[in-house]
Amino acid sequence: MDPDRIPDTPLFDRARQRRGYNLNKMAMGLGTPANRDAFRADESAYLNRFGLSPEEKRAVMARDWREMVRLGGNVFYLLKISAIDPVRMTEIGAHQAGMDHETFLRERLGKR
Amino acid sequence: MAQLIGGLGASHVPSIGAALDKGLRETPDWKPFFDGTVPGRAWCEANRPDVAVVIFNDHGNAFFLDKVPTFAIGCAEEYRPIDEGWGPRAIPVFAGHAAFGWHLVDRLVESHFDPMIVQEIEVDHGLQVPMELFFGRPETAWPVKIVPIFVNVIQYPIPLPARCYQLGRALRQAIDSFDSDERFVVIGTGGLSHQLQGSRAGFTNAEADRAFLADIAADPDRLAAMSREDYVRLFGSEGAELMMWLVMRGAMDREVEVRHTHYHLPASMTGAGMIVLENRAA
Repeated sequence: MDPDRIPDTPLFDRARQRRGYNLNKMAMGLGTPANRDAFRADESAYLNRFGLSPEEKRAVMARDWREMVRLGGNVFYLLKISAIDPVRMTEIGAHQAGMDHETFLRERLGKR
Repeated sequence: MAQLIGGLGASHVPSIGAALDKGLRETPDWKPFFDGTVPGRAWCEANRPDVAVVIFNDHGNAFFLDKVPTFAIGCAEEYRPIDEGWGPRAIPVFAGHAAFGWHLVDRLVESHFDPMIVQEIEVDHGLQVPMELFFGRPETAWPVKIVPIFVNVIQYPIPLPARCYQLGRALRQAIDSFDSDERFVVIGTGGLSHQLQGSRAGFTNAEADRAFLADIAADPDRLAAMSREDYVRLFGSEGAELMMWLVMRGAMDREVEVRHTHYHLPASMTGAGMIVLENRAA
C-alpha cells in the first residue's frame, strides 16, 4: 500500500522508520532508569550518544512533536520523553494538529 | 480437549490503566467508560476461564525496530509488566501457559503460519489494560494463565486483516486439539478509532466504530475483506490495530451470541469499546 494516500496521516513505512531510526532508538532507551537519569542530567549529551543530527536534537530539545514525527519519529517511542518531561497525549495531539489544547479537545474530541 | 468458551474484545488505551492507577474511576471523565465495562468483568467471573489468549501489539517497549516479528507467540512461564518510562506498573506478574504456547506454535506452522517464538519478554499496556478490564486488579495473582500473541501493527508492512482472521481460525484448531480440560477465552485488543500522529491527530469515527462492534459479531467476513488502507482511513493510523480483533473473531464459530457491547468516546483520544461473544449453542 502507498502509505501516504490518506491525507495528513504519516504511516510508519520503510522510508520513515529508516529516517527516524536513531531518534526512535534514543527515545526507546528511556525505558530504562539509568538512561532517564542521563537524559535529565545532560540531555544534549544523552542525545549525542545516539548520533542525533542537529535538527533532530533541536526538535527533541524544543519538544517539537510535529517536527519529531516529520523526522521519522514514531509517537510510541517518543512518548517516553513525556514520562520525563510530563505532557499529556492530547497536548501532543493538539501540537501536531496545529491547535491550542482547548480547541483540540473541543473540535477533535468533542469535549466541552 | 480444551474448550473455547468466549471471544472478548477491548480497547487497550494506556490512559485507562493510568486512570485506574490514579484512582480516577469515579470521575465524570471516566465513570461512563468504566461502568460500561462491568458486565464484561462479570461475565468472566461467572464463566471462570482458566486461560486467556491475548492478541495485542507491543508499543515500542519490548520490541525495537531492530527485530520486528509480524506475529510472535509467547511460550514463557511468566510475563512481567514492562517499564514504559514511568517504571513498571504495580500489578501482578502474569503467569504464562508455555505448554499451550508451544502447542500453538506447532499447529500454526502446520497451518502454514511461521511465527516468532518468544520465551523471555515483558508485556506493556496493550496486554495489561484488557486484562484489568476483564479480570479486575488482583492483589497477588491473575485468575487465568495467559498466552500472548504479539502482532506488528506499527512498522509497515503490517499484516492484512484477512491474515489476522485466518490466524484466528488456526488458533481455534490449536485450542480444540489441546489435550486438557481447561477453559479458554480469546481476547482481541486495541482500537477503536484513534490517530496519534500527523495533522489528522485526534481523528475518531464513532459511526465506523459502532458499525465495527456490530459486524465483528454479525458480519466478520466484511471486516476481514477490508484493506489496511480502509482501516487507516476509517479508524485512523493507530486505530488500524483494530484488525487484531479479527484474530479473536476467527477463533469463534461463524454464528455467535453477543453477551455484551460497550462504546465510549473519547477515552483520552480514542473511541473505546468492549465486546463479549459466545459461540451459539448447537
